[in-house]
Amino acid sequence: MSSNSLSSAPDDSAVRGASHTHPAPVIPGQPDMWVLVMIEALTFSAYFVVYTVWYRFKPAMFLQSQAQLDLRLGVVNTLIMLTSSWSIARCVGETRAGRHRAALTYLWITAGAGVLFSVLKVNEWRTMAGQGFGFETNLFFSFYYFLTGMHLLHVLVGLIMLGVVFHQLTNPARRSRELVETGATFWHMVDFLWVIIFTLLYVMR
Amino acid sequence: MTRSAPVTLLLVWAALAGITLLAWWIGAHHGSGPLRPQAAVALSAIAITIVKVRIIMREFMEVKHAPPLLKRITDAWLALFAVGMLAAYLI
Amino acid sequence: MKGTLAWRWRHDPKLELWLAWVTIIVFYNIFGIVFFGMTRTQPPPPPWWDHARIAQWFSDHHYGLLIGFGIIFVMGAFAAVANALIAYSMRRMSVSPIFAYSYLIIYSLAAVPGMLLTCIALVVGAMRPDRDPALLGLLYDMGFLSFSGTMGIFLIGSVIWGIAILLDKNRVLPKWFGYFNVCNAWTEVVVATCCINKSGPFAWNGVIAFYINMVVFAVYTGVFITYLKKMIEREDVLQLSF
Repeated sequence: MSSNSLSSAPDDSAVRGASHTHPAPVIPGQPDMWVLVMIEALTFSAYFVVYTVWYRFKPAMFLQSQAQLDLRLGVVNTLIMLTSSWSIARCVGETRAGRHRAALTYLWITAGAGVLFSVLKVNEWRTMAGQGFGFETNLFFSFYYFLTGMHLLHVLVGLIMLGVVFHQLTNPARRSRELVETGATFWHMVDFLWVIIFTLLYVMR
Repeated sequence: MTRSAPVTLLLVWAALAGITLLAWWIGAHHGSGPLRPQAAVALSAIAITIVKVRIIMREFMEVKHAPPLLKRITDAWLALFAVGMLAAYLI
Repeated sequence: MKGTLAWRWRHDPKLELWLAWVTIIVFYNIFGIVFFGMTRTQPPPPPWWDHARIAQWFSDHHYGLLIGFGIIFVMGAFAAVANALIAYSMRRMSVSPIFAYSYLIIYSLAAVPGMLLTCIALVVGAMRPDRDPALLGLLYDMGFLSFSGTMGIFLIGSVIWGIAILLDKNRVLPKWFGYFNVCNAWTEVVVATCCINKSGPFAWNGVIAFYINMVVFAVYTGVFITYLKKMIEREDVLQLSF
């Protein structure tokens, strides 16, 4: 019977024809999620190539405006995101081991980090806006608000996904390892998108 | 089944955090000279981006345990991204 | 052989579904020829032109606009059939019919700002070339902003279809297409920037707000047309196996 999703491997592929130390290669969670990951990866890379081209058109204006960004805040946000990736990876590990209470704890850490990131981001915008830098101030700030805004939309969808994972983990009847892994894949994407934004928007000049 | 042990995950986090701090040091304005675009900063930033994203994909997203096709697709994207950024910056 | 239209016609399976699917192809072809070829409203001309230049544009495209959009006025309703087929796909799913109904309601409204308002505004502009250039400027803005700037409807529609696919247990459409709908929804947000920027990558003809978006949307459209076809093909096989 053909499956409509990309996943054709059963859950326990480690058992199927694999030795103990070398499990068969498998994609954790629904492989379908990787379609979303790659579409977003390609889209954001396109945005950054466009950004770089415009930076080269108007270097003075971009440089001046970029200097208004708080690099320390960018670093803090990056560390928060990296920590959330670590905690969701731990959550997946605990789920696989059947330790669901521990998995839930790590899930809370991830969600907490996501919320903290969002709060700091909105605060950063308010500070920028307070200093007179809005979306329409100049092209650099259009990019700034656009990129961080789009990213925040991904964080928000990520938090919804974490909610779904939470809903699954809290009920023994509903628990699905595949779903936890799928949610984790999405969250890691949110993390690496931020890494790209931090390094190219805040640092690269 | 072998997936990353908790210690490994912590080391990965530490490595990524370390690279972040390195990026911070590179990106901070040293001294009171005029702001200038700097190729060294830009190229390091691009390189750091590629490296960090690859680590996240390989370790956290477990691409290193994935079928070769996914490894090739993700590396191909990273290569394309790097080339695109370098082209945009240098041309 | 089983998949050909000739076979279908003779063996009387869900012929209606196939006709519906074909109208999608017809609609998008007409859309492409009219918007890209005849009226040249896609890719859109720049927002930063002054009134004199805009009046010039109307004059240059006078017949293209009138005839092209005249065609859309007559045949634009084909879009309804496409949306009906998509809603039908949701009725085949294990999720509540609410999804299909919401989608239908949203998209039956979507054609107004998404397409018809553009056609009306630009046809009105083209109809009297000696109109006050300031008025032409107004119609120009109205036409292009309504096309690009009213993406909220398509955003919600994508979310509805996406969630339906992800929750569906009948596997009517692949899960990765459900995720693709989520990606499409994000791109609808990107377009909103054109309400503010009149030039550069975030304008209604900008690289980001238009071109990159269009690439994603074009691939998305190609994918859903293909997968609706596969869905109908599976229907036929199931029906004829009795």
